[in-house]
Amino acid sequence: MLFVRLVVFGFLALSVIYLCVSLYSRSIRREKLEEEWDATAPDDATPDMRANFVASGMTVYERGLRKKLMLLIFVIPPLVVGPIIYFIN
Amino acid sequence: MRNIRRVLRIALFLIIGLFLHYVMPQQDIARVTSTEVIRTDFGGFQRLFYAQADTGQIDNVTRDLRLINTERKATYLFGLIRGNNETMVFRNEDTGWIYPPYFKFDSSDLQAEASATISTADAQWVVVTHYGWRVRWASIYPNAVAIRPAPSEDFRPFPWVNLVIFLFMIGGAVFVRAMWMQLRERTLDPLADKAGDRMDHVSADLSERKGRLSRWLGTWRKKN
Repeated sequence: MLFVRLVVFGFLALSVIYLCVSLYSRSIRREKLEEEWDATAPDDATPDMRANFVASGMTVYERGLRKKLMLLIFVIPPLVVGPIIYFIN
Repeated sequence: MRNIRRVLRIALFLIIGLFLHYVMPQQDIARVTSTEVIRTDFGGFQRLFYAQADTGQIDNVTRDLRLINTERKATYLFGLIRGNNETMVFRNEDTGWIYPPYFKFDSSDLQAEASATISTADAQWVVVTHYGWRVRWASIYPNAVAIRPAPSEDFRPFPWVNLVIFLFMIGGAVFVRAMWMQLRERTLDPLADKAGDRMDHVSADLSERKGRLSRWLGTWRKKN
């Protein structure tokens, strides 16, 4: 029962961490895209073009490897517990 | 205000430091002199400093507690300075699936290992890895986690595990800080700017109305 409790609460904690990290990473990417546009935009660019540029960059990001690597947050802690159990017992 | 914040910050650091000092593994060079089991009735406050019954068993108010009696090298200042021999009693409890995350299930085996190294005249030194404190006035013992033979009496184990954990925690703190800065820069500050902007509009509107009112009142005044 205690094991189940650990799994449930551990999963909840990891979900919170995952949510925070994914929001952070998305925000960083959006900021970078905006800066890139501001640095390279043509003189007659409209705000619409900027929004489009950022949106298309974000869809590329959502499909990217970085997004998938973030799922490691759920994978690594359980993998660490294994060796701990082995070495302690 | 600044003093209050300073006090709060110091208190926070103190609590975190004490918690880490309690939970982090420590290694003592010790010589097991005997092992024993005593019946224990846990008090409310004291209960915090004990683990629970062996994994798979039901937790009662009263149960037997395994103890390992040792003579160890006294250490001061996080183990940097070494003193004379002193006695130390370790408890030996399962932490199981609960805090702190040592995942220790083998208390009985550890007790047998400890018994196997009992030595008197021909001293057999071991490294006792443990966490927790010995608090005499509350009958609280550190929990022994593992025992391994020490090469010699003067052996000084290096806390590699603690080093790795601390590095991870520092990295985590830096990351959380970066996340907070990003949140402030991209979300909180723009919100505050918007709110401040609105406040400015409202107050400008208000003062303009006041001006109109006083001008209208002025038309009723006697003109020279």
